[in-house]
Amino acid sequence: MKHIKTLNTRKLQNTIKKGGCGECQTSCCTVGNQTCEQCK
Amino acid sequence: MVHQYKNNGYNIVLDVNSGAVHIVDDIVYDVLPLYEDQSEDEIIASLKGTYAIDELKEAIAEIGELKEAGALFTPDAYEDYISECTEQPTVVKALCLHIAHDCNLACRYCFAEEGEYHGKREIMSFEVGKAALDFLIKASGNRRNLEVDFFGGEPTLNFQVVKQLVAYGREQEKVHNKKFRFTLTTNGVLLNDEIMEFANQEMSNVVLSIDGRKDVNDKMRPFPNGTGSYHLIVPKFQKLAESRQQDNYYVRGTYTRHNLDFSKDVLHLADLGFRQISIEPVVAEETEDYAIREEDLPQLYEEYDKLAQEMIRRQKEGKGFQFFHFMIDLEGGPCVAKRLSGCGSGTEYLAVTPWGDFYPCHQFVGNDQFLMGNVWEGVNNTALQRIFKGCNVYAKEKCRSCFARFYCSGGCAANAYHFHGDIKETYEIGCALQKKRIECAIMMKAALAQE
Repeated sequence: MKHIKTLNTRKLQNTIKKGGCGECQTSCCTVGNQTCEQCK
Repeated sequence: MVHQYKNNGYNIVLDVNSGAVHIVDDIVYDVLPLYEDQSEDEIIASLKGTYAIDELKEAIAEIGELKEAGALFTPDAYEDYISECTEQPTVVKALCLHIAHDCNLACRYCFAEEGEYHGKREIMSFEVGKAALDFLIKASGNRRNLEVDFFGGEPTLNFQVVKQLVAYGREQEKVHNKKFRFTLTTNGVLLNDEIMEFANQEMSNVVLSIDGRKDVNDKMRPFPNGTGSYHLIVPKFQKLAESRQQDNYYVRGTYTRHNLDFSKDVLHLADLGFRQISIEPVVAEETEDYAIREEDLPQLYEEYDKLAQEMIRRQKEGKGFQFFHFMIDLEGGPCVAKRLSGCGSGTEYLAVTPWGDFYPCHQFVGNDQFLMGNVWEGVNNTALQRIFKGCNVYAKEKCRSCFARFYCSGGCAANAYHFHGDIKETYEIGCALQKKRIECAIMMKAALAQE
């Protein structure tokens, strides 16, 4: 694209199906940075 | 919902509901606010005095393409989903063990009041800690990864029990097919070779408390006799950080109104050789002389900008370091369920007092309104548990329309309670700083992506 450069390809809406397993670390890990094995 | 802002020469666009981040030129930046409410002809009529019509058409087409791909103006489809998540059975997967309600420092801002948490000095017995681990194994259901934080007060004042509990946990994880992730938070006063060796063997993360420059640290973190702690702890922390290969630890400090130029403290710690750093704003009653005030925000925004730019410079020179509040993973990061439900305090995560009582997290300890049960009877205040379980982004009016909601998860329940008496409220100064930090963190990704 000429006017827009996109930095990332992952979309949050795609994590609904396999997310929610709860095996991730608790955060207070910040919530923005940690991915559990299932979502990798 | 789209959030757009300028920082350090970049035009940055965050598509909130997909998490997509775009760097755009001035044309797209000016078209975006009009895109959802105006037709192509109306947008062109509005902006043709500034940009060429062909360029405007190209920009509008590119925006349309990204919208079609689910990376711009993505609708919020998560509210029903989070309701489903809330209805799942509650399991506990993490405990914060208050190994010692006692401390050998007298930090001025400590919410635990020299480690006593508004109560008496006491240390946790092995029996109470063992019962806590047994409870966690049982209450965690099918969850395999469990976390136990050794916290205080100062946990090294009761180090023998820490060692006993880790040994017990390691035995039990084999029996029950669980995996314990232990962490230790210490002020460093009693840190010695034995504790370091043990921490390197057993602790997945170690948090080392220090506020930055010597005068800043010693003003807020003195011994009870008033002398400073900096000279004693720095060499120990440097040794421990090196022995952990500069990973899986944080030097963690608090900035207050007395050091609004906190970026200097972050850089001081980096110059001491630390590579994992967190310096965070104090949360305190407005009446305290060191409390952050709303009028301080412009200066704090500048500090975060300065820090971000300096971190980019150092990263490019091969001298980079991590800053906890700028850590953001645009390609990964947790799933939506995790982002919307937050830290899990009062549900997945509980604090345990030395005598075995449960509270939603360490910041509620000592407030009887928030007593949730104990290690022998389990969680018996299920009404309170339900309140915390319902405390997600959609339960907080101010969060529903906030661009940062997928990166902060609705903020800290304890801060909301302490400022407004309601865990579903928000702590405004905390929100303002969180939003600024997210903007800086995304800008850093943009700057480093250009390399």
